[in-house]
Amino acid sequence: MATFLRVMMARLRGHFRRGDLDRDFDQELAAHLAMAEEDKVRRGMTREEARRAARVELGGLTQLREASRDARGLPWIDTLWLDLKLGLRMLRKSWGLTLVGGLAMTVVIGTGAVVFAVFDLVFDGSLPLDDGDRVVALQTWDDKGHRRRDTSVADFERWRDALASVEDVGAFRAVERGLATADGAAGEPVPVAETTASGFELARVAPLLGRPLVEEDERDAADPVVVIGYDVWQSRFAADPAVIGRTVRLGDTVHTVVGVMPEGFAFPINHRFWTPLKAARSGSLPDGDGNTGVVFARLAPGVTLEGAEAELATLGLLPPAVAAESDEELRPRVLPYTFAMAGDLEHGDVLWMIRIVLLAVTLLLVPPCANVAILIYARTVTRQEEFAARYALGASRGRIVGQLFIETLVLAAGAAGVALVLARFALRLARASIDQSLSGGAPFWMDFTLSVETVLFVAGLAVLAAVIAGLVPALKATGGQMLSGLRALSGRTGMRLGATWTALVVAQVALSLAALPSAVEMVWGTIRKGVLGPGFAAEEFLTARLEMDRESRAGLADPPAAAVRFAAVQAELVRRLTAEPGVSGATVAAAVPGEEPWAVIEVDGVPLPDGGIFAAHNLVRFNRVDDVFFDVFDVPLLAGRGFGAGDFERAAAAVLVNQTFVRDLIGDASPLGRRVRYLRKGGVPAEPGSSTWYEIVGVVADLPAHATGGTMYHPLAPGQTHPASLALRAGSDSAGLAERLREIAMALDPALRLDEVLALDEVYRENEVGNNVGALSLAVVMLSVLLLSAAGICALMSFTVNRRRREIGIRCALGAQPHHVLSGIFRRAFGQLAAGAAGGILVAALLSYYLPVEAVGGWDVPGVIPAATLFMVMVGLLAAAGPARRGLRVEPTEALREG
Amino acid sequence: MTDTRSPILQGTLDLMVLKTLEQMGPLHGYGIARRIEQVGQDAIVVNQGTIYLCLVRLVQKKWIRAQWGTSENNRKAKFYSLTAAGRRQLQAETESWERVSGVIGRVLQPAAGR
Repeated sequence: MATFLRVMMARLRGHFRRGDLDRDFDQELAAHLAMAEEDKVRRGMTREEARRAARVELGGLTQLREASRDARGLPWIDTLWLDLKLGLRMLRKSWGLTLVGGLAMTVVIGTGAVVFAVFDLVFDGSLPLDDGDRVVALQTWDDKGHRRRDTSVADFERWRDALASVEDVGAFRAVERGLATADGAAGEPVPVAETTASGFELARVAPLLGRPLVEEDERDAADPVVVIGYDVWQSRFAADPAVIGRTVRLGDTVHTVVGVMPEGFAFPINHRFWTPLKAARSGSLPDGDGNTGVVFARLAPGVTLEGAEAELATLGLLPPAVAAESDEELRPRVLPYTFAMAGDLEHGDVLWMIRIVLLAVTLLLVPPCANVAILIYARTVTRQEEFAARYALGASRGRIVGQLFIETLVLAAGAAGVALVLARFALRLARASIDQSLSGGAPFWMDFTLSVETVLFVAGLAVLAAVIAGLVPALKATGGQMLSGLRALSGRTGMRLGATWTALVVAQVALSLAALPSAVEMVWGTIRKGVLGPGFAAEEFLTARLEMDRESRAGLADPPAAAVRFAAVQAELVRRLTAEPGVSGATVAAAVPGEEPWAVIEVDGVPLPDGGIFAAHNLVRFNRVDDVFFDVFDVPLLAGRGFGAGDFERAAAAVLVNQTFVRDLIGDASPLGRRVRYLRKGGVPAEPGSSTWYEIVGVVADLPAHATGGTMYHPLAPGQTHPASLALRAGSDSAGLAERLREIAMALDPALRLDEVLALDEVYRENEVGNNVGALSLAVVMLSVLLLSAAGICALMSFTVNRRRREIGIRCALGAQPHHVLSGIFRRAFGQLAAGAAGGILVAALLSYYLPVEAVGGWDVPGVIPAATLFMVMVGLLAAAGPARRGLRVEPTEALREG
Repeated sequence: MTDTRSPILQGTLDLMVLKTLEQMGPLHGYGIARRIEQVGQDAIVVNQGTIYLCLVRLVQKKWIRAQWGTSENNRKAKFYSLTAAGRRQLQAETESWERVSGVIGRVLQPAAGR
């Protein structure tokens, strides 16, 4: 091995000092020849004879120089470089193949890259703390239910005191509190970590100012204190150096600031506020809302995860205070900290899941790469002369195959580069979506940059793609007769597109046609709302989510009392807001119009369509709205009556429906007086016969105008839904109103939290981003499939023409009309393609019947199948046009001479 | 006329060059080629060019080192000499060669005696 390395190093040096070493070698050979010559002259030869003999004995000088250069340097670097240059030139030359093949490869490699990057993001986080990968979570795990259960305080304390394999054992729970600083600035909900003081010891991060939490703070009688993050210190306290001792109100409690943590510190998840976890002393780890506390620890020096798991298993769990549910099988377990935060998962299961998904993503390469392989095979065959000539000049088959492989690899590498850009974009989207859905932003360990592993995985995919798309056709095209005989040099190719390749092209056409209609409907369904707009002045509306602090609600003895408080606050808020100048209306509903949840329903007397409860026709949105909702949004009543005072009783059964609901579900008959009930709501099926029947009392116009489906409205009295969605009609200055809204809410009840305060058009726009990215991805995939089909048809036709050039020539020479000849020649290929297309249409029709795209967000486009067929025929004709023209240009005399 | 000379056995040229340098001390390529031809008494074919390729390989392995010097008739020439690693390698290869040739000799012996 050492010798091998020495040789490689020497060769590497030799590669870069080629000129010097060449001169050196030439001098050495010259010396050799001179010495040999003199020697021979001494032994009686004439000088002329001696010189000739010396040269003969030494051997061919040029070959010797070449051989020594190969022995001294790294000849394959030159070969590789040459192949790369050739590859780039081929990419430019056959730009059609570059475009089609590159797009196909980009789609699949991009998919792989995005999947891998997301896995890597979620499951491969290591804590950016000192020795962060030794931080673990301890859990009470239910083996039967496959989920985490609450850890009892008794168990927590026992683990903390008895376990030797872990240290700094602590616990936290993540809660949200309405924030207000003492200077009266209005606040919004912020994530707060209630943590044991050991959390700061475990993190090994010293505070910037003041002190961290200490054990004394956890006592019930201790004064409420808070440690704040750097950002909070900067933004809320203007980086006041004397911040220690100032106060912050979180929810109902005023806390004294005792410390400021340095920038970037966010342990345990994404926190900037840390208060002591007093519950650990007073009874239970979980909080009132069922948020289970998390127990964390650090592995003791020298202890492995398995070692800690073993000790924990031996220690076991204490018998629960209340008898366990019969179907539970509890045991304690230890997990890497970030993995535990990813969800209730089994480490082994997830590893398997990841492997299977990555395998699937890898296998996804095969179909498009096989398609690209057809195209590359076709191109390779047209370059037979070049290869035959090179072979005749001494290139080995391996050398030629290597060159073809590198050419494809260049293409795949380009695709991989784009794929990495896509993966980066996906990570940015992931960050935006996590930041939006998780208050406080993404967990601090999540690294949204591309990891080395992702780059390596993508590189692996690129090589594999090049093997499938480049190596296979290269081996096939350079095998057998081409290289043994040099017939190809005569310019006539005996190659044909074999049955397998032809079948692939036909299957590709079928697939394109089968997928095209659904894809069009999906894309249209996804972007329709955004393209057509809401149909009303959404920018005039300001929306917000209303919610009471969990702490405050938990503080109330019985749930109805909490609802009464919420109802009162809500009613008063609406009253005050309506009185505000510039506000022309305020309404409360369960959901923002247009963003309501879906349910599957049944209309009394209307038989369920085929496809049962999965039929898209029975999918409707549902909302609960207050008495002024339709007035505020200017929605006219089209038939029947609106909600009356009596409808707002709890058990009222009146519902309103929109126009689309009537059109889709009831048709021409009168909807008034009809009864409807839920079959499936929020993914949970309702027992047939057990759910309540509601009576349709009126019909309203669609809101938004281009509704994605039927909508059903229930009456909503204040306090009946929590959280609730508030909408204000404000005219132009909705930003100024947002500030005023917070102030009013704060003054009314500090426990009332306002979240997602946004203009309605912003709400719609935010939702459109994801839709547009989804639609664009789908459109690109479909485009790639179509291009591959077109290119496949083109290749098939080219082969047909090339193979039968001579026949075309002869028949033209005998006076046949070129067009007749062509149609005869293309008949077979067209027949095959037509069969594929027919199969595709059949599959498309079956798909649209059995798997309606409406059920997954598509939108029915009338006549899409005939249109798609027509489009494919045109694509096919265009693709066949080039080869056909070439066929028509065959000169009879030339074609005959070729034979 | 048939050529009764044998080509050099694959892999043995390295051994011959190393041995030559051990016996003769620092020597240039031409000297090495001549020496092998003399010792072989024209029974083997030495392509002199391949000796230079062999020298490149041995230098890369650091079994020999090269240095420009002056030849006996005052000509500038590249001289090769054995390194310590080369000496060890020579010893190992010599032992291996003797073992193998002994085995081959014993295998061929009975056939020759029949």
